[in-house]
Amino acid sequence: MLKMTHLSKVYRTEVVETYALRDFSIDVKEGEFVAVTGPSGSGKTTFLTIAGLLETFTGGSYHLDGVDVSHLNDNARSKIRNEKIGFIFQAFNLIPDLNVYDNVEVPLRYRGMKAAERKKRIMESLERVGLSSRLKHYPAELSGGQQQRVAIARALAGSPRLLLADEPTGNLDTQMARGVMELLEDIHREGATIVMVTHDPELATRAQRNVHVIDGQVVDVAEDRVFSTSQLAEHSPA
Amino acid sequence: MQIQPILAALRRHRLATLLITLQIALACAVLSNASFLISQRISRMHAPSGVDNAQLAEVSVEGFAPDQASNVNARMLAMLRGTAGVSSAALINAVPFGDPAANAGIKLDPSEQGTHGVMHFYVGGPGAFQALGLKVVEGRAPQAGDYQPVADFTPKQAPVVITRALATSLWPQGHPLGKSIWIGSRRFRVIGVVKGLIRPAPFTSSNRPAQGSIFVPGQPGPQLVGRYLIRVATGQMDSVLERVRKAVRQMGPQVVLDEAQTASVESLHSSYFQTDRSMVALLLGVVAALLLVTALGMVGLASFWVSQRTRQIGVRRALGATQGAILRYFQTENLLIVSAGIALGVVMAFALNVLLMQYYEVPRLPLGYLPVGALALWLLGQLAVLSPALRASRVPPVVATRSV
Repeated sequence: MLKMTHLSKVYRTEVVETYALRDFSIDVKEGEFVAVTGPSGSGKTTFLTIAGLLETFTGGSYHLDGVDVSHLNDNARSKIRNEKIGFIFQAFNLIPDLNVYDNVEVPLRYRGMKAAERKKRIMESLERVGLSSRLKHYPAELSGGQQQRVAIARALAGSPRLLLADEPTGNLDTQMARGVMELLEDIHREGATIVMVTHDPELATRAQRNVHVIDGQVVDVAEDRVFSTSQLAEHSPA
Repeated sequence: MQIQPILAALRRHRLATLLITLQIALACAVLSNASFLISQRISRMHAPSGVDNAQLAEVSVEGFAPDQASNVNARMLAMLRGTAGVSSAALINAVPFGDPAANAGIKLDPSEQGTHGVMHFYVGGPGAFQALGLKVVEGRAPQAGDYQPVADFTPKQAPVVITRALATSLWPQGHPLGKSIWIGSRRFRVIGVVKGLIRPAPFTSSNRPAQGSIFVPGQPGPQLVGRYLIRVATGQMDSVLERVRKAVRQMGPQVVLDEAQTASVESLHSSYFQTDRSMVALLLGVVAALLLVTALGMVGLASFWVSQRTRQIGVRRALGATQGAILRYFQTENLLIVSAGIALGVVMAFALNVLLMQYYEVPRLPLGYLPVGALALWLLGQLAVLSPALRASRVPPVVATRSV
């Protein structure tokens, strides 16, 4: 589903080159729930932005759903983002001027979907996250947990091949975070491929597989096992 | 299209949207009316006079006693006809764009209540009709026997030549020849129709049509004296007028040149429309300033919204919006705001027109000016929003992941 091989991302200024990712390789299979962990500045968000085609990379290769995305132009990348990827952001990133219904509709409109089909999908995805009664509410009228559920509904509405979640519970209190994680787990059980970036070791334990990133490189891959907090702490900055 | 979500978003920014809509509406109203007034003034300036403005001039003298009229006329005509470059000279009471001499309300029947408008009576001595170079389209030009003595501005009874516009207005069914025009008990029989002859001071009021001119042949005398029409060879107007000025100065103290009225018809035309030219320049300035302010308002608001929505744009890009989709979003948003402004502006344009009609002699605003104003504002809006919209389209999708 998502395969990066020896991928690198370099930020260049006139005087310095900074490697955000270096010789980064990862292979996420269809239906997997992978947590990418690492300390702040380790490159996990850069990985997510490249995985989500929000940024280009400097070297290596990246295949998404079997497509080599290295040389795609901006429009083609937009189309893949729209059709194959669902984003869940830490800050929810709902559009404040649009109500719940219109927010979920945004990616469907960019796909050029007919109104009836859009409505069906919006209602289904909002029901899926338990917010079908809040269609006319604006983001500011919802709690953080509810906003993140709307964001998940927006990500799900387009039936993406891959869900990318960037610290999905980072802005939520414990109770709301638990609810959002349970929802992600449910979605995974239904067959979705999820890649979640988090610095929270507890959250990472909920994923099927953990990938640890330090200084832009994958340093540990733990499959079908759970990282302990102490193990992860070893890699955290002092 | 994105119309519904754009409208939904605009509803959340009512005040800013309302203010810019009102500004556009005001611009539309002023632009429509100003364009109409400008085009009206320009069309007046280019209205055909019926004569060759560049080749005709008026020479006007004063300062003599009434009993010297015959003597002055004889000396002046002799001098003018003898001046190099003058091909013909004749007496006339007024020339196009000069001072009017004889305006009068006319009737088609002396017993009629009211008049058919106030017309200008050009009274010209022998040779004046030919010097004017008027084109006869029906009937005939005045002949030697048609010249009658002038009493109280016009001959008491005389054959006259009228303009085609006046003939059509008075007798829409045609056949003006032989018909009579009355001023009180004075009767003027139509013997000819000319293609056109603009009155001396056209466009002053609606009951004084610009082509409301009547040429009356009159005999030189105490009431037809001191104003002369000369036809000058091409390119010699300035030198001829200079020679004429010198010659008049040598005629003695009883004959004084009226400097203001001694000028070519072209020069009189230019002076006559000076106010219109100033008005056109002023209106163009107002329109340009208003359009500039409106465009700056649209640029300012669009730029503010782009800055305010940078993250939102990044999110849209992340969700699959192409650069073109973002560009179209802002252009469509502008189109909707401008269209609302135009819809309101159309109503305001007519209201402004009604107001102008009450206080000034302004005709009803023709509907054709509204699409012109609307198109100008649509184009202006799209141009104004282009730079902020392009900036918006260049917001990278990765902005969505950056912390606020």
